[in-house]
Amino acid sequence: MRKYILKRLGISLIILFFVALIIYSIMRCMPSSYVESLARQMSQKPGAKSYQEWLDQLNKAYGLDVGIIPGYIHWLGQAVRGNFGDSWYWNVPVLTKFRQVIWYSFALALCASFLEYIIAIPLGIISARKQYSHTDYAVTVIALIGISLPSFFFATILKYIFSVKLGWFDLYGIVGRNHESYGPVMQFLDICKHMILPILTLTIVSMGSMMRYTRTNMLEVLNSDYIRTARAKGLPERRVIYHHAFRNTLIPIITIIGGSLPGLFGGAMITETLFQIPGIGYVGYLSMTQGDIPFSMFYLVFLAVLTLLGNLLADILYAVVDPRVRIN
Amino acid sequence: MSNNINSSEDRQGTLDDESRVRVLSPGMLVAKRFFRNRLAMIGLFIIIAMFIFSFAGGFISPYGEAQVFRTVKETMTDYAGASYNEDYKFTMADGQKLPSMAQSKFVLAAHDGDTTFEVKDQTYTLEKAGNDFYKIYGAGTVAEVTYMRKLYAYKNVDDSFTDTVKAAFEKANNAGQTQFEVNGNQYEITASGRTITVTTQRELAIASKYVFNAYTEGTTLSYDFRYQAEAALNAGQTTFTADGTQYTIAIDSANDRAVVSTSDGGQYALLSHFSVSSVNEGSFLSVEYIEAAEEAIASKAAQFSVKDADGKDVAYTLAQKDNQYVIRTYQKTQLNDNYASPSLKHLCGTDGNGMDILTRLMFGGRVSLLIGFVVILIELLIGVVLGGIAGFFGGWVDNIIMRVVDVFYCIPAMPIYIILGSIMDKMKVDPKIRIYFLCIVLGILGWASIARMVRGQILSLREQEFMVAAEATGISTYRRIFMHLIPNVIPQLIVVATMGLGDVILTEATLSFLGLGVKYPYASWGNIINAVNDSYVMSTYWFVWIPAGMLILMTVLGFNFIGDGLRDAFDPKMKR
Repeated sequence: MRKYILKRLGISLIILFFVALIIYSIMRCMPSSYVESLARQMSQKPGAKSYQEWLDQLNKAYGLDVGIIPGYIHWLGQAVRGNFGDSWYWNVPVLTKFRQVIWYSFALALCASFLEYIIAIPLGIISARKQYSHTDYAVTVIALIGISLPSFFFATILKYIFSVKLGWFDLYGIVGRNHESYGPVMQFLDICKHMILPILTLTIVSMGSMMRYTRTNMLEVLNSDYIRTARAKGLPERRVIYHHAFRNTLIPIITIIGGSLPGLFGGAMITETLFQIPGIGYVGYLSMTQGDIPFSMFYLVFLAVLTLLGNLLADILYAVVDPRVRIN
Repeated sequence: MSNNINSSEDRQGTLDDESRVRVLSPGMLVAKRFFRNRLAMIGLFIIIAMFIFSFAGGFISPYGEAQVFRTVKETMTDYAGASYNEDYKFTMADGQKLPSMAQSKFVLAAHDGDTTFEVKDQTYTLEKAGNDFYKIYGAGTVAEVTYMRKLYAYKNVDDSFTDTVKAAFEKANNAGQTQFEVNGNQYEITASGRTITVTTQRELAIASKYVFNAYTEGTTLSYDFRYQAEAALNAGQTTFTADGTQYTIAIDSANDRAVVSTSDGGQYALLSHFSVSSVNEGSFLSVEYIEAAEEAIASKAAQFSVKDADGKDVAYTLAQKDNQYVIRTYQKTQLNDNYASPSLKHLCGTDGNGMDILTRLMFGGRVSLLIGFVVILIELLIGVVLGGIAGFFGGWVDNIIMRVVDVFYCIPAMPIYIILGSIMDKMKVDPKIRIYFLCIVLGILGWASIARMVRGQILSLREQEFMVAAEATGISTYRRIFMHLIPNVIPQLIVVATMGLGDVILTEATLSFLGLGVKYPYASWGNIINAVNDSYVMSTYWFVWIPAGMLILMTVLGFNFIGDGLRDAFDPKMKR
């Protein structure tokens, strides 16, 4: 087991190296990036050095004067020591900004995932139990609508109904206008209130695939021999479903939930941007569109790490939860 | 998934085991199962409808993709300003200037009854020629001279700058004098840089409180005419001569005005204390209009109407502001017909650029669907080739290809699209090339999961007996992969591709929504919804974004229904 994990970790590191290289190359292609506009700005000040001189100086300062490969090795050397540099757009060290924003994203993703599982798993099981019933059709349609729903469109509809027509929530932001005047409890509740619509969006959009997954797995379990045996023994249907079948359905579900745990830190870029929730997704989006190479690099590599970690976790959990799986 | 749903009705149509074996090929079986699936049928119907809407609709629609509609709107706008003139109006003599500083000094001097006033070392003289009627004398420009390398170039030369004066000026200037005298006239030389101005005391302007209005458009009332007319008015004469023409003047003292007519009786100009000036610089207001406005103001009416050139009555409203009156009227202005509500002409209204939304939805559908298909084709091509090779050969080839797949699987796709989108924004890439580029990028970043699936299938298939048989018959590797293995993967490929189409359309819509995908002037469903980034548009003009969003939802849903139905049809093991 340990050998397997170590091997997987090693492969992951190699993959990460190449992913980061690709990301770095794309980032370096950004023309008219922050440095150039900064140089242009500085050269326009009275008595300043020429644009080219500023550009050279800034490129040197930011390590952009060398080719992509040496630049990447330089970046990598700094990154493994935990130094991701200073963000150009936010004017603070990348990790400082990261620490400021990550918890918003985490809270958002945690609540949304929790709701997603709470709703999706029971519905999936019910739908599998009553295959081809009206309930099954309804659940299938709801799940497919959830999968097909563009998050930006759904978020806009929610805003239109709850913010514009009913006036219950603000259109944007994480805090209300009077946030500063509240006490600590009210401040917390204010933030919670602003999280409701984003959480709702994320939940609805993401629960479809979980419902389908649960339904498929439950059907598979219900078709298996041990369920037939349980029924043949004369067990009540409740016990067959909720004891024998459900436990076996949980194996792949726990695996997929475990695999999605690292993703909780990844931030929901589109949803956060739409609601201007200052989480890692929104901050990353702004950094990317503004050509902030240090922060974008960090964000993208961070996402890649989360994906790798998720896969690894899912595979390990699969082996741990299901004793039938033997790792060779 | 529907063979039990209405079992009693379908009993006759069901296939018992015998006829199934005898009659139907496996393909027909799949088709049969698929066509019996209600959701899949709904999905198929949606998708066919979308194709007709997008591809046929574009031809049927009478409008173009980027056709901008203009509209004429009547808006209440300021038309003219009116007032009773109580200030001095200055009429400059030809080619002369009276600086605004001198104008205000003149008003003070006239009020105090002084005969001279000074502005910036210049002395001006005023001569009272009647009631509130003055002539102003001062240093007037006779000529402007450019002096270079002892050569004189003259411009703006006055009639009085005769050759005698010119000779005297050149002599005086060469001698470095600043003054010279010819025929008792005193001239002054002022030099600034290379430009020398020659000035002398002369008539600069007349100041009076009368306002002159010509009867016909295009008539300019000359300085001499104005002076002579007012002089005659003050002297109580009924005729005067100006610029060699005889005019008669009829004084209407009750209304405090006078009408000047030419010798043949035609009305030429109106003198009054009532001034109306159009908001549009230089547009002509007829005397009838001015009289109507004056009458309305005198009778304190809030409205009046005047016949326009076509003989139609145009209503004007009057609003007083201190001593000024503002005349407003409904005027037609041409605008882009943006955010027009749904109507018969525009069934879904118009967008922020004044384009027909329904037409843009049709063309947007073409772009969205085409991008979806092209991207899926690219993904399938790369995925099947690489996955097939990896699965068939195994060993180090498999290892390398799968690591590449892992790398592509790990690249966060959406952020990369966003970065590439903003790079293209900054490089101002042509919108058409952008669409091609978008397809390629979406394809290159999306093939990894297909390759994985193909490899997995092939790994299990290649251990089966039919592959051993194929190998034993000595078929070439190429044929074994592409004729024997890949066809067995096709069911899964079709399912993945159908579901993937929906995903690609969603991704493209999201990118276009963020403004980083398909760009104006090309339409896509995503960039039509992009208008909601302006929350005013979102809350006011629902018809701009709801239809596009519904179309995206329906299309993706349609593809998912079909994909789901196909999966069930291909894989009857899931049935109970």
